[in-house]
Amino acid sequence: MKLGSFIIRRLLLMLLVLFGVSVLVFIIAKVIPADPVGAILGGNAPVDLVEDMKRRLGLDKPLIQQFTDYIFGLLRGNLGISLKSNRPVAIDISNFFPATLELSICATLLAVVIGMFLGILSAVHRNKFIDHFARVFSILGVSMPVFWTGLLLLLLFYFRLGWLPGTGRLGLFVTPPTKYTGLYLLDSLLSLNFEAFKDALAHLVLPSIVLGYSAAASIARITRSSMLDVLRQDYIRTAKAKGIGKRLIIYRHALRNALIPVITIIGLTFGGLLEGAVLTETIFGWPGLGRYIVNSLLLLDYPAIMGGTLFVAVVYSVVNLVVDIIYAALDPRMRA
Amino acid sequence: MWKKVLLVVLALVAVIGFAKTPKDTLVIAANTEIFITLDPAVCYETFAAAVVTSAYAGLTKIEPVNGVLTPVPDLAERWEVSEDGTTWTFHLRKGLVFANGDPLTAEDVVFSFQRVLAINKSPAWLFNELGLTKENMNETIFAKDANTVVLKTKPLARNIVLSIIAPPWGGVVNKKVVMANRVNNDLGEAYLTDKSAGAGPFIIVEWKRKEQVILQSNPKYWAGEPPLKRVIIKDVPEETTQFLLVQKGDVDIAWNITTEQAAQLRETKGGNIRLVTTPEQSNEYVAMNVGWGPFKDEKVRLAVKYAIDYDAIINSVMRGFAILNQNFMPIGYFGYIELNPFKRDVEKAKKLLAEAGYPNGFEVEIITSTTEIRRNEAIVVQANLADIGIKANIVQMPSSEMYAKYRQQGHQMIIAGWGIDYPDPDALAKPFANYRVKQLAWRNMWYDDYAADIAEKAGVELNDQKRAQLYKELQEYWITRSAFAMLYQPVGFWAVSNDVVGFERAVEGYTLTFDFTKISKK
Repeated sequence: MKLGSFIIRRLLLMLLVLFGVSVLVFIIAKVIPADPVGAILGGNAPVDLVEDMKRRLGLDKPLIQQFTDYIFGLLRGNLGISLKSNRPVAIDISNFFPATLELSICATLLAVVIGMFLGILSAVHRNKFIDHFARVFSILGVSMPVFWTGLLLLLLFYFRLGWLPGTGRLGLFVTPPTKYTGLYLLDSLLSLNFEAFKDALAHLVLPSIVLGYSAAASIARITRSSMLDVLRQDYIRTAKAKGIGKRLIIYRHALRNALIPVITIIGLTFGGLLEGAVLTETIFGWPGLGRYIVNSLLLLDYPAIMGGTLFVAVVYSVVNLVVDIIYAALDPRMRA
Repeated sequence: MWKKVLLVVLALVAVIGFAKTPKDTLVIAANTEIFITLDPAVCYETFAAAVVTSAYAGLTKIEPVNGVLTPVPDLAERWEVSEDGTTWTFHLRKGLVFANGDPLTAEDVVFSFQRVLAINKSPAWLFNELGLTKENMNETIFAKDANTVVLKTKPLARNIVLSIIAPPWGGVVNKKVVMANRVNNDLGEAYLTDKSAGAGPFIIVEWKRKEQVILQSNPKYWAGEPPLKRVIIKDVPEETTQFLLVQKGDVDIAWNITTEQAAQLRETKGGNIRLVTTPEQSNEYVAMNVGWGPFKDEKVRLAVKYAIDYDAIINSVMRGFAILNQNFMPIGYFGYIELNPFKRDVEKAKKLLAEAGYPNGFEVEIITSTTEIRRNEAIVVQANLADIGIKANIVQMPSSEMYAKYRQQGHQMIIAGWGIDYPDPDALAKPFANYRVKQLAWRNMWYDDYAADIAEKAGVELNDQKRAQLYKELQEYWITRSAFAMLYQPVGFWAVSNDVVGFERAVEGYTLTFDFTKISKK
C-alpha cells in the first residue's frame, strides 16, 4: 500500500473512533448519578433556583434532543459553554493546552535523551555496573509516586537550596512574553524577551524532571531489551566481522532497527502527557489541561468534561497517527 | 561533554534570581480552583466573594463593630425607613466616582440591584427574600433623584435588609461600562467575570484562570486609597506547596494550609511566619432525617445528640481549630444565647433509645462528602453510635452527589456544613428551623410549625427587644427537638508572614467578609 492511501485510511478510522468517543462521553455524562445544577449553585441553594437553572441549561429537555443538540454543536465546532467559567469550552482548552504542551515536550525530550542513552549503554555493557545502575534507576522511576518525587524535589531544590523557583510557569514579577503560540519558551524567544525565557525555563525544570523521570525509566527498559534483541542478529555479527567501528554499529545499524518499540513507548508517553498530568500540575501550580479536566469532573461541569475528553481523544488519535506514519516510513512492512 | 552540560546548567541556575515580595504588594498563595466568576451579581464562593467585595462598594458594608458583624454606611451616608419597615430611602455621599473616574449616581445603584434579579443566579434569592423580584423590580427599586435610591421591601427587621444589600451581591457596578460591554444581552456577565467596573478600594486588573488574580489599589475610592498598592493571588492548589512558599518568603500568606500544618505552626514560636485564626461564619452538623424510621422519635434524636463525643471531634479531628457551639447561630450573633447542653453520656443515650423502643439499636447510613475532615468526623460519630448499639455505615460521595440526595430528602443521616449568607440570626433560623423555606429543616423533614412560626415572626419583628426574645424562645425549643446535632463552629486559619500587618483585623468575620484595606506591610 502506498503511504498516501495508508494515511487516508487511518484518518477515516480516526473519525470513526472520535464519533464513538463523543457518543460514549455523552452517555457517561448522563448516567453519572449526580446533579450538575446543584454543583453550580452550591449545596445550599433553594429549590426554585435549582429548577430555574435546569430549564436554562436545557436539562429538562428529552435526552434524545439533548444528544442531537450536542452532536450538531460538535459538527459546527462548538464544544459548548462551560457551566462554571461561562465561556466557550474551546477557549478554555486553548488557554490551558499550551502550558501542558510545553511541559509535555520538555518532559518527553528529557525522557527520550536520558532513557535512550541509558538503555543503549546498558544493552552494550550488559551486566556491567552501568547496566545495574540503569535497572535501579528504572525501577525507582516507575515505582516512585509522582506526588512524592515532586514534593521531594521541591523541598530540596526550591526550599533548601533555593536554586529553582517554586510554582507556576513564570515568576510573579516577570512580564509574560507576547502571546503567539502560548508556549512561553518559544514566545519569549520570538519577542526577544530573554528574562522571560530564562524564568520560564527555570520554572520548567522541576516539573519536567518529575514527569520525565518515570517516562525515562520505561524508555530505558524498552530500549535496552530491544537493543539486546537486535545486537544478537546475524547482520550485526556480519558488520562486526567486516571490521566496522563499534560506535557505527551501535548507532547506525543496531539502533535504527531497535527503534520501533521505543517509538511506540515514546508516542504513548507523549500522548499520555498531553492529557495533562494532574498530580504534577497540582504540586507545581501548573495551569494545564489535566487540572482543568479533573476540576471540571469534580464540579460536574458537563460541557467542559465532554469537550475536554473529546479534545484529549483527538490529541491521542493524532499522536497515534503520527506514530503509525513514522512506523510506516521506517518499515514498509507496517503499511499492510 | 557531560561536564560542559553540567556547567551550563549550574551557570543558568546561578543567574536566576528570585524576587522577594515588594513592600506595597501583598502576595497570597491560594487554591483558586473554586473561583467561578468575579461578577458581584453571580459570585457566591467564599474567597471569591472577598475579592469581589474589595472591588465593589455598596450602599452599606459589613464591619465587625465590637465583635459583632454589623452593616454600616458605605456609599450611602445615611438612610431613613418608614414606620412599617417597607420603604427605604438611601442618600448617597456627594461626589462619588467609580475607579475609572465616571460619576456614581443613584441610577447605577438601581441598575446594579435590578441586574442581580435579572441575571437570576445564585445570589438572586437573597434579594427575593427582601420582596424584590424580577417581576416587580421597576416598582420596588428606583432612583428618586441622582443621589437618592428608594427600595420597597417586605416588612423585615432592619438588620436583614441592610445586610443583604451589602457587597458582594449589593456591589454597585458602573452601568455605562457594563452596558457598553454586554454580549447577547448578558448584562455584562461575561465582561465582569474576570475584571471589575466598581467603586471599591481595589480594582480587579485581571484574573488569569489557574494562574493569578491581580488587584490594584483605587486612588479614587471615597474613603481614601488603601495602604497596599497591589494584591496578587497566586493559584497554588497544593497546601504543602503553599506552606513551602510562605516559609521561604516568596508569598506573604498561605491561604489553605492543613490542620496539621496549622497545629505545627501554633506550636512553633518565633520564625518569620505566624498563625492567624478567626471563628468562621459557618457551622458543621450531623442531621437526622425525621421522615426516616427511628428518627421520627424525638427521643432517638436526643439519644444521638448525647452519644456524640463533641470534644473528641473538636480536639482530635479539628486539632482544636473549632469551637463548641451546639446552637444553630454563631457565637455573638444578635439574640444568641449560649446553649451547650449535650456532653457525651452513653448511659443516658442508651436509656433514651430503650424508652423509644430500640433497646438493641438499629442500622443507619451516614452520608457525607469526600474530604478528609468529613471522613474523620464520620468515623468518630460511627464509633460513638456503636457504643449505644446503633450500627452506622458511612458512605462518602462527591459533594454534588451528596447534595442532590440531600435535596431529595433521600438520606437517613448526613454530616455537612452551612455557610452563612448574611450576618443576621434570620440567615440561620430560616434554614435550620423553618421548613417552609424548603431548606435544611425541610430536607430533614422536620416539619415543626411552632419553630417555623417563631422563625417567621422574628424575621419581621421590628422591635429589637421583642425580636431577641423570639430568638431566645426558638433556640431553647430547637436545641432538644430539632433534627440537628451541631458539631462545632469552625475556626479559620492562615499562615502569614510577619511582614504583614493587620491581617488579624482583616479576617475578622471571615467567610462573610474580608477587608483588604486593613492590611499593610512592614
